Amino acid sequence: MPECENPLWPCAMTGAASCLAGFDGITVVIHGSSGCYYYPATLLHVPLHGTFINENEVIFGSEQRLHEVLDGLFGKGKKIAVVMTCVPAILGEDVLSMLKDYDVILVDSPGFSGDIEAGYKKALSVLAPSVDPDKEGINIDGACLFDPFSWGNVREIVRLLGCASVPVGTVFCSDRLESVGNAAAYTVGTNLDFSSGVGTWLGGTLGFEEISTTFERIASIFPEADPGPVDTEIEREDERIVRACDKFLRRFDPPQAVIFSGFSYATFAARTLKQYLDADILYVGFRNEPGTSPYPGGYVQGFSRVTSLLRQFNPDLVIGSSFERSVDPKRAFVGLTPPLRGMVKLAPHSVAGISGTLSFVEDVLNACMDRKK
Amino acid sequence: MTSNPLPLNISRFGGCTLTGALSVTTQVRDTVTIVHGPKGCTHHNFSLLHATGLDNDRVTLPDLISTGLVESDIIFGGEGALERTLDAVAKRNIGAIFVLSTCIVDSIGDDVAAVCRRNRGVPVLPVPSGGFLGGTFQNGMNNALNAIADTAEPCQKGWCVNIIGEKNLEYEVEENCAEVTRLLTALGISVNLRFLRDCSMIDITRLGAARLNILRDDDLRTVGERLHQRFATPFISSFPVGLAGTNDFLESVADSFGVKNLRAVREEKVLQEEILTEFKDITGTSITFDPALTDSDTFKIACEVADRIDITIDRDGCRVPLEISPPVGTAGVRRMLHRWRRAIHA
Repeated sequence: MPECENPLWPCAMTGAASCLAGFDGITVVIHGSSGCYYYPATLLHVPLHGTFINENEVIFGSEQRLHEVLDGLFGKGKKIAVVMTCVPAILGEDVLSMLKDYDVILVDSPGFSGDIEAGYKKALSVLAPSVDPDKEGINIDGACLFDPFSWGNVREIVRLLGCASVPVGTVFCSDRLESVGNAAAYTVGTNLDFSSGVGTWLGGTLGFEEISTTFERIASIFPEADPGPVDTEIEREDERIVRACDKFLRRFDPPQAVIFSGFSYATFAARTLKQYLDADILYVGFRNEPGTSPYPGGYVQGFSRVTSLLRQFNPDLVIGSSFERSVDPKRAFVGLTPPLRGMVKLAPHSVAGISGTLSFVEDVLNACMDRKK
Repeated sequence: MTSNPLPLNISRFGGCTLTGALSVTTQVRDTVTIVHGPKGCTHHNFSLLHATGLDNDRVTLPDLISTGLVESDIIFGGEGALERTLDAVAKRNIGAIFVLSTCIVDSIGDDVAAVCRRNRGVPVLPVPSGGFLGGTFQNGMNNALNAIADTAEPCQKGWCVNIIGEKNLEYEVEENCAEVTRLLTALGISVNLRFLRDCSMIDITRLGAARLNILRDDDLRTVGERLHQRFATPFISSFPVGLAGTNDFLESVADSFGVKNLRAVREEKVLQEEILTEFKDITGTSITFDPALTDSDTFKIACEVADRIDITIDRDGCRVPLEISPPVGTAGVRRMLHRWRRAIHA
């Protein structure tokens, strides 16, 4: 069926804006209508600009309007990135030649070309990241502005790399623009769904096991690296989690969970729930194309499918976005997936790193216990 | 022209027509809205409506269906996708289907109205909402209100008013309605229908029963005129704004119903004096506002209130917040003064 009821995931244009706006040194211009501008502007919470084209530009061409906007933005010390939306993309204009006198980046990622991940990757490829063999340290990737945990993730992995005495390379995509062409040779990830593909992959940081493995690899490559403090912290925090979860299981049955998220976070959530709470993972609904997963589940694009799955499985724990929470606000719920509307988030919460696992398990236990009371 | 997204040029910065139309159609409970375009447009609006709903303590999600246009539909035309979606949705037990166009669909020239004309056993209402091609957010709202109004028939008038075109995405939408209802109650008049907020297609049949329509603001004048033409219902072109404006509103509504209003206005003036007394501690201070709003209606109301409480407006004064929409009624002025006081004392 081509139609989709209440689509749950943003379009490629939003993905491109999420990538570009993360870099200090880029001014992002959404080349499209006001509607295309307002959504990423309200979602990403960073300054964006728009051409706000209207019917005049559709009929007579958008060149003059594009120049008008770019002229107003030039000379402010930042590189300008123009993100194409659906209508300009089909007008048949040669936008590249329109921009030949301007030093700008053009990202052709109209909404109909795919979902957020496609636009994110497209924008990053246009930035042409490259490795500088002399650059020290390790890149962090997966930091997409769309993800409300990205800021917390970066802070946490910077902290862990610091504990292991490893300098940080480039953060994709939350860094200075100059760092894009000057990345380190190795990379660790926070959210594989938004991986950069830059440098040699050393592993992810979702869950203690993954962190340990990744830091082992780091230690094997960087002789000066000391994973000891990270290992010690993992050992200590793992014990705390086991104790808290064990206490929960003395009184309560393991949660029966349904999870909705991007592949990377959803798999982390399922693995963590299984490991610490012996949870019954009833279904994992992936927002993006699923990879290989040991859990029952599939690609879930629309809200009606979410509703029917929750009705079918009747879980006592739901992990997802505020869309899922709205189906039955009385069910135990943990927010892991954007959007997380209707709640105030000021502190830098993470999913990645040691703090990420602690936060996740803490949220799950509190949600389940509140529900059982 | 600047790329600054401040509302300086309404033709460009007046928001998305589709969002305006959706802010209306999604308030009709027993209906489904089809958004004919790529699914990103639907997701953007679904997420936005979800957020504003939560801001107003409403967890119910709107029922939006995207025709999910992809590159091949853009090349070969999207009417087939709309046909298929309409056929599937028409099988549901619903009161009506709204079909909203997007700017990409208008650009490729799909004949949405023609596809909607085929009888599917359920009312199918196309609403022109082709993004920027259709105009502004307000155009989308007005188009949707007019399309839905056309489904109602004239009926017997009652001792009541309709509230027309509330800003459903406004954070304080319920508080504003409560303030208007409070003022109407002081005159012994009830609200027949909030056109359109949280109602069903059956509720809409009562649209013609009001003796007076109260528009949310003057931008809805064309809707007011259309309803006047169709149901012979006169209208007041705005919610009450500011202190004097609130008293004028009471007088206008009372005149329209031919009732005496002296007591209601007198009591409102007493209430206003009491509220101004509450804020004596900021008397004599100096304030300033966002310069982009100095030509707005809100600025005029802010000046009126500042004058009443002996606050000076000065470029070097303390910057206090001001919303784009003026405060509604006496209660709105009170909330505005609280925010001024917070800023002055910060």
